[in-house]
Amino acid sequence: MADKRQTQLPTLRLLLARVHLRLILFAVLLATASLMLSGALVIRNYMATNLRLAADTVAYSAEPAMVFESREAMLEAIDTVAGYPSVDRIELFDPQGKPLANWARPHGNPQGVVVRLLNSLMWPDPVLAPVSHSGEQIGEVRVYGNSGGILRFLVAALVIALSCIALSIIGTRILARHLQQGVIGPLEQVARIAHQVREQRAFEKRVPAAGIAEIDRLGQDFNALLAELQAWQAGMLSENAELKRRARHDELTGLGNRALFERTLGAAIAAGQQVALIHLDIDGFKQFNAAHGIESGDAALITVAERLRTILRGEDLAFRLGGDEFALLLMPAPEGERIDAVIDWIAVAMDDAFRLPDGQMTRVALTTGFARYPQDGISTGELLSKADSAMATDNSPDQDKESQGNK
Amino acid sequence: MVRMSSLIRLGAAGAAILSLSLGAAADNGAASDPYAGAVARTVRGIFEYSRWPQPRNPLVLCVVGAAQHAGQLGNFRLVDGRQVVRRNVAAHVSALGGCDALYIGSIALTAQRQVTASVRGKGVLTIAESDPGSSSEAMFALTYKPGALSFRLNIDAVSRSGIKVDPRVLRVAKGGS
Repeated sequence: MADKRQTQLPTLRLLLARVHLRLILFAVLLATASLMLSGALVIRNYMATNLRLAADTVAYSAEPAMVFESREAMLEAIDTVAGYPSVDRIELFDPQGKPLANWARPHGNPQGVVVRLLNSLMWPDPVLAPVSHSGEQIGEVRVYGNSGGILRFLVAALVIALSCIALSIIGTRILARHLQQGVIGPLEQVARIAHQVREQRAFEKRVPAAGIAEIDRLGQDFNALLAELQAWQAGMLSENAELKRRARHDELTGLGNRALFERTLGAAIAAGQQVALIHLDIDGFKQFNAAHGIESGDAALITVAERLRTILRGEDLAFRLGGDEFALLLMPAPEGERIDAVIDWIAVAMDDAFRLPDGQMTRVALTTGFARYPQDGISTGELLSKADSAMATDNSPDQDKESQGNK
Repeated sequence: MVRMSSLIRLGAAGAAILSLSLGAAADNGAASDPYAGAVARTVRGIFEYSRWPQPRNPLVLCVVGAAQHAGQLGNFRLVDGRQVVRRNVAAHVSALGGCDALYIGSIALTAQRQVTASVRGKGVLTIAESDPGSSSEAMFALTYKPGALSFRLNIDAVSRSGIKVDPRVLRVAKGGS
């Protein structure tokens, strides 16, 4: 839909080229028309003068010919101006209107029709010149104009105008290309950056300097907007991450919470990965809380979480499932003896005393049980309850520790 | 003289084959000489385009000796109002006093030369009626073609005559000197 609209809309380059073309066409046509009109008028005026001159010349040189009544001499007198390009026909009459001699320009057939038509339009009436001898009129010369010259001028002007228009069209194309490089190029740069930002969320992109004040300003504003967007997006991302972290982690210890535990174990099961789950419980935590206060209980939870974290390998994860309940996921699952070894390490790690907020030194012990996927269960609940029951049965060594811790 | 005129008439009759009007004129005898009208017109035209050193009115046109085609050459009036008076004179140098123009008739060439030589530089217009070889040294020499009369101009004679002839007459003239 958007693409379709884009193809229908004219580009700026096309618009500019069109405007230029119209402007130049208008200018050329205006110039040509006025030039043709004024040129034709000037030529016609010159021709009128020329015809007057020709008529007077014939009248002057035909005068003795008419006095002597020599037709040959009359023709010769006419001949002196018959070559004038502006002359189409010359006629010589006696005072009674009887034609004595004449000459007419031969016309080619196809061109002649046009020329004759133009002649009758431009020179409907002949130029008259009386032939007089000693003040007495003895005849009359009639000279008709020939517009072949004007026709040639008009045709030449038209050809020149057409070539001017052709040149103008080429010029407009070049001009439009220059404009595109100069103006539309930077604009397209802005458009492309905007598109990339939208498509790829690439807020770090910036519009380069355009070299044109207006577009430069646009680019700067756009860049400032992008910078704001980038900062806003970064803030939003970190806030999102924080929210996500808070949703999945325990506030107190910073370990993953039960939700994250279930999700992680579920994902591992879904992926078919072998997992060992170690379930841990602080022994007598209720009594510990009662004896030392909730603050000390929190300190004990934090200490346990820290020590569990220290024994984890790369892929292993620690969670606080709630209360004094912790869980470790060992991925990939080690052999049975290795799990026992891990459980021993945990016991060792918990052996060191730690300082409570009131300055008292103490230590806590953990009860552990484990289950493995897929040997001991195929669901999160199954594995948890398996590990739980293992914790209940396998507590003879822990019993010692608890008694030690309670001492 | 009668024989000569009949000879001319015979020539005119030959030309009549080409021109009916000339043939009709030939039938009417000497009084309707086919060239008479043309000669009168041509002489009159020459007068129209000639300027004498001293303006005179009337101008005296002397027909020298026997003329063949001067039948219609009488007194006439120029367009500008000057009168031309015809006078017949003998073909002799002493008879030319008072003439402003000479129409030299069909006389011997030597006589024509004597006449033209005697008026050279004195402001007298000379027209030779019968000078086919252009050797009379008259300013104008009439030439005859069947149905058409023309004249030749002797520029040398014109320039020596003291009379100004409109250069446009050159165009009407045949061939020049």
